[in-house]
Amino acid sequence: MEQLLTANVATNLYWFGRYLERIEAILLEVVYSFDKIIDTDKDCGKEMYEKLGVNLEYSNAKNFLNEAVFGNHHANLHTLINFAKENAIISRTNLDTEAFGSVVELANLLKQSGLEIDCRFVDNVLSLISEIWGELTRKQHRQASDYFIRLGKLVEKVDFHLRLGKDKEFSLVVMEEIDKIVTILAPNSKFSPHDKNDSHEVIMNSINAKINKIIVEA
Amino acid sequence: MSNEKNSVSEIFWETFSNQDRQKIKEFQKYMDKFAVNFNLYKDGNFIERSLPFDVIPRIIETKEFDIIDRGLSQRIKALNLFLEDLYTTKNIVKDNIVPEEFIYQAKGYLKELHGFSPSKKIRTHINGIDLVKDTVSDKWVILEDNLRVPSGASYPLSIRDTYRKIYPSFFEKLKIKPIKEYPSMLRESMNYVNCGGINVVLTPGRFNSAYYEHAYLAKKIGAQLVRNDELVVKNKVLFFKNYDGRLVRVGAVYRRLDDEFLDPKFFNEESLIGVPGIMEAYLAGNVAIMNAPGNGVADDKGIYYFVPKMIKYYLGEEPLLDNAPTYLPYFEEDKKYIFDNIEKLVIKDVAEAGGYGVMFGHAMTKIQLEDLKTIIKANPRRFIAQELIEFYDEECYLNDEIVPRKADFRAYVVMSDEPKVWKCGLTRYAMESGNYLVNSSQGGGFKDTWVMEA
Repeated sequence: MEQLLTANVATNLYWFGRYLERIEAILLEVVYSFDKIIDTDKDCGKEMYEKLGVNLEYSNAKNFLNEAVFGNHHANLHTLINFAKENAIISRTNLDTEAFGSVVELANLLKQSGLEIDCRFVDNVLSLISEIWGELTRKQHRQASDYFIRLGKLVEKVDFHLRLGKDKEFSLVVMEEIDKIVTILAPNSKFSPHDKNDSHEVIMNSINAKINKIIVEA
Repeated sequence: MSNEKNSVSEIFWETFSNQDRQKIKEFQKYMDKFAVNFNLYKDGNFIERSLPFDVIPRIIETKEFDIIDRGLSQRIKALNLFLEDLYTTKNIVKDNIVPEEFIYQAKGYLKELHGFSPSKKIRTHINGIDLVKDTVSDKWVILEDNLRVPSGASYPLSIRDTYRKIYPSFFEKLKIKPIKEYPSMLRESMNYVNCGGINVVLTPGRFNSAYYEHAYLAKKIGAQLVRNDELVVKNKVLFFKNYDGRLVRVGAVYRRLDDEFLDPKFFNEESLIGVPGIMEAYLAGNVAIMNAPGNGVADDKGIYYFVPKMIKYYLGEEPLLDNAPTYLPYFEEDKKYIFDNIEKLVIKDVAEAGGYGVMFGHAMTKIQLEDLKTIIKANPRRFIAQELIEFYDEECYLNDEIVPRKADFRAYVVMSDEPKVWKCGLTRYAMESGNYLVNSSQGGGFKDTWVMEA
C-alpha cells in the first residue's frame, strides 16, 4: 500500500466516511420513526433524538421530518451534508471522481429542496448515498484512502449504534473489522484488545487511541 | 470562430443546427456536479461559482495553429534564455538591448536570486500566453505573457469529455485534435526538472479562487496536492509529511501561489500560505520550483515590449508572432506619440494583472486623459500604451441566441527539454457586447477550443 496521504487528507477522508454514514444512519432511523409516529408512537422521534443529545419538538410526522432535516440542531441533515462536502472537497484528489460529484449533487439536492420535504425526498437522499458508497467501492485494489473512508464509516456505525443504546454484539463485530483496517494502516502498532464488557466510552476511547496512532502529525 | 467561411465552419454550424439545444443545460449540470469552479470574493464573502461556459467552440485550423505553435515555442525559448541570462551574466543588459532600469524597477525582479541557475536551467515551465486575432491584419498578435502562475487549462480539459458525451456527432464529423496530453506534458516537465523525490502541487488552500484547478491537475498529473503545512524543510531538503509520520522527499513543486507568499523566511514574512525554508532548499538545488521564482520580471508589461528584441538577440531569428503595437513612455519619442494619440490608445499599468489597471483612451473624459498624462509624466516606467486591437468577435450562444462577443485566446506552453504548445487553450469571452475585457476575474466566460487535424 504505497499511496501517500497527508494527515489532513487522511483525517478528512476518515470524517467524510463518518459523516456520510451518520447521514445514512440518521435518515434510516428518521424513516423508521416517521412510520411509528403515524401509526403508534407520537413521541418516538423525540426519544430517538434525545439519545443523540437533541431536544426535537414536532407536531406531526411531516413536521418531524422537516425538523429532523432542517431543524436548528447539530444533527440536522443540512449541517451534516455540508460537513461531508467540505471533507470531500479537501480530499477530492483521493476520492473517486463520480463519488465526489455525487456528494456535491447531494448537497445541491438539499439546497434546492426548499424547506418543505416529504419522505420521497429522504428516499432520494438515501438512494444517492447508496450510489456514493457504490462508487467508492468499485475499485479492484483498495488504497490507504479507501481504508480511511471505510474506517470512518465503521467507527460511525459503532458510535451511532452505541449512542442509540442498541445491543453491543453488533458493535463488537464491527470493532473486529475496524481492527483489521487498523492493522493494515499501521502494521507495526500494538493495541490492547477490546472487551465485550467495555462501556461505550471505553470503546470509543480505544478507537480514538487507535486512530491517533494511525494518523501521526510529523 | 473567425468570420471566414470554410468547410469546417460550415460542418460545425450544420451539425449545431441539428442538435437538441435543451442538452446545453447538461454542461451546467456537469460543472455544478463536479464543482468546476472559479471562486470569487465579493464584499468580503467567499462565493463558490462555476465559470460561465459557452457551447460554441473556437475553431482553429491546423495551418493557423502551426503558426501559433512555432511562434510561441520560439517566444518561450527566448524568454527562458532571457531569464537565465538576467539572473546570471546579464549580457542583454550589458549589450543595451533592455535598459537596466527596466529590469531593476520591475516588480517581479528578485535581486536575491542573482547568480542562481535552477534545475536544467528551465525557468518557464508552464506558460500562458494571451493572444487575439487582429481583424485588420488577420494575424494573431500577442497581448501578454504569463510566466508566473498562469491558470485556466483545467476548464477546457474538464469540459471536453462532457462535450463528447453530450454532442458526440461533432467529434464524429470533424477531426478535432485530442487534448488529453496536457497532464502528461505537465508531468513530463515536472519529472524533467525533478531534483529527486515526489512531485507536489502546492495550493494556498480550499478557498483559493482556482482551487478546483489545483485539485484537478494534481489528480491528473499524479502529484500530491498539498498545503504549506503539509511540507517541511529539513537541512535544506523539502519533505512531504505523510499521515503515518514518514517524511518523503519532494523533488519538484508546481506552486500555485505568487513569489511573495512562497516562503515567509525569504519573502513576505507575514505570509501564512508559504513554506518556511523552501527557498533555501531551492537555492541548494534540492528541489525544483515551477515556475521559477523571479519570473515576474519577464511577464512585466514593460518587459513585454522587448520580447521581439530578445528573440532576435538570443535566437538570431525574426519573431514569428508579433506583439500588439506597444509604446513605452520611458522613451521620449514614444511618450510624444502617446500624448498626441492618448484618446485612441489603451494604457496599461504594468504592475496590474487580471484585467485591472487597463484604461481605454476612447472611454475617458478630457480631464481624465489630462490627469493620466500627468501621472505618466511623473512615472513613465509604470505604464505602457498599446494600439487598440480590433480583434475578432466569437459567436456565443447566450440566452438562446447567437451573439458576437470579444474573445481572446490563452495558449499554454509547457517546457521540458523543449517547449511544447498544447493543442487547445482557453478561449475567454466578454459577457457584454463591446467589452474588451475577457478575464474570468472580470466576469468573462470560457469556450472550448478545437484545433483541427490536418
